[in-house]
Amino acid sequence: MESRQTIALVLLGSLTLAGCGPTTPDEPTTQTSTQLPVAPGLPQALANKWARSCALCHIDGNGGAPRIGHAQEWAPRIAQGRDALLTHTIEGMANMPPLGYCMSCERDDFIALIEFMTGGAP
Amino acid sequence: MSKTTRRQLLANTALAGLFGFGMPALAQPARPSSIPWRNWSGGLVAHPAGRFAPSSEDQLAEFLKSTKGAVRPVGAGHSFTPLVPTDGHLIVIDELTGMLDYDPETLRATFAAGTRLADMGAPLEAVGQAMLNLPDIDRQTLAGATATATHGTGIDFTCLSGFVTELRLTTPAGEIIDVNADKDKDLFNAARVSLGALGIVTRMTLQNRANYRLKSQTSIQLTEDVLDGFDESAAQHRHFEMFPVTHSDYALTLAINETDEPIKNPPPQSPEEAAAYAEAMTTIAQTPPEGRKPLKNALAQQIPPTENVDASYKVLTNIRNTRFNEMEYAVPLEAGAECLREILRTIEEQAVDVMFPLEYRYVKRDDTWLSMSAGEEDHAAISIHRAAGADYRPYFDLIEPIFWKYGGRPHWGKVHSLGAAELKALYPHFGEFQALREHLDPQGRFLNEHLRKVFMA
Repeated sequence: MESRQTIALVLLGSLTLAGCGPTTPDEPTTQTSTQLPVAPGLPQALANKWARSCALCHIDGNGGAPRIGHAQEWAPRIAQGRDALLTHTIEGMANMPPLGYCMSCERDDFIALIEFMTGGAP
Repeated sequence: MSKTTRRQLLANTALAGLFGFGMPALAQPARPSSIPWRNWSGGLVAHPAGRFAPSSEDQLAEFLKSTKGAVRPVGAGHSFTPLVPTDGHLIVIDELTGMLDYDPETLRATFAAGTRLADMGAPLEAVGQAMLNLPDIDRQTLAGATATATHGTGIDFTCLSGFVTELRLTTPAGEIIDVNADKDKDLFNAARVSLGALGIVTRMTLQNRANYRLKSQTSIQLTEDVLDGFDESAAQHRHFEMFPVTHSDYALTLAINETDEPIKNPPPQSPEEAAAYAEAMTTIAQTPPEGRKPLKNALAQQIPPTENVDASYKVLTNIRNTRFNEMEYAVPLEAGAECLREILRTIEEQAVDVMFPLEYRYVKRDDTWLSMSAGEEDHAAISIHRAAGADYRPYFDLIEPIFWKYGGRPHWGKVHSLGAAELKALYPHFGEFQALREHLDPQGRFLNEHLRKVFMA
């Protein structure tokens, strides 16, 4: 039997496979951009990886992802410890895909990216 | 930063970086791999010897010339078939991203092939262009989506590979070649849907159109009523598809059309509504499959219709928060309805415990060698899903022979069990593709276990 969470999410998508990411009511969409999000403080190579992977979900909170800069959303994750965060990143956890969409990231990259997104919390 | 959204974070310097690879070139040698690779669903695991993320086409070519051993390219890791796993090197094209060029006259634009579909809409909008169609997931890279003939919905639209007018390929020997229909038609038709077996595509030029706005409308209807009128609906709407709800008489329909109406994004479901639906669905899931129909029918009738208006690339795609594994086959159009009916009947008769709806849509024929709709017929694409982490094999093994019965062709990125002999019977140009692959990669560097089964067995 499929998990309770899966069932709920499937249904909450109005029975479709359509997304259930956050929607901003009547948000104007005339803003255009050709650049990816910036990650101040990260080395350029790592910032590029962040912009093309983590940022896809951890800015808007897609799929319940804790948003960067929202300490209260990270607190329960941080409480699990760094090792757990790293394991969940590499193996996937709930809605987060394994490797968080970063196919070129190695262990050290993920450690640095987690530190960046959690604000350096221990 | 606490109130910042992704859109607000996007730097608003339009056209900056347009004529480079989007980000500064960063030399990055191949690195020994410290962690396994897994795909999006988590169902596939591999232990590559290393990862190589070239920051330029020249760097990629040099790597292929100067190294030996197995390699496999990886895009976003969204395929459910083992196209990527290798114990050699993964070649990651993450650094090859961004819009490289555009032509306001022909409405074409060239992108580095590592660009995610999700990162193409905004830069195209900035130059007055938009893609003709998109798949409903946009996390894939352009290279990965086209290599697997990923498609959207609509009888007037081919898969993404059909929009490609030119591409640049780095061959297994490290040769960089530009390919289009005039220069080398056979290679062009093969390389647009290559399964990553002919080398690495590093850039693509796409035929686009002037940007546009779309209105999507969903509604719940009786599945048989939708099927009876599906051809008319598909002709009437720019995009039309249905999601038959298993163990019920109902399907959700999605119709999308061009509009000049103002942006309209309805607010998300309230927590109270969400909780009520979650509770109802939990009750249904705890009911044996053979007893679910009255419950699901009752719930389906309470689903209200919805409308949404936005820029085309925002309406055509969705964020899939629930991870899953998927099987999808395309059957000739005239066989689509009967194939779908037999699948739904089988799920019901065999009391398959599945909550995910099916997906049913039309895709236009194209002139590639290996897409699902390659050739002279339009196709109906039918998908089944199983939650990530659950064993999908019993369900998929039950349904796959039904697809075969109706002449189905598998989606290259989704679960299937076919080998070279069966596939050769489905694609008129399959033998030519095999020969071309052998010519470009006689050592089989770009083959893994899955691709040996697909092309060699």
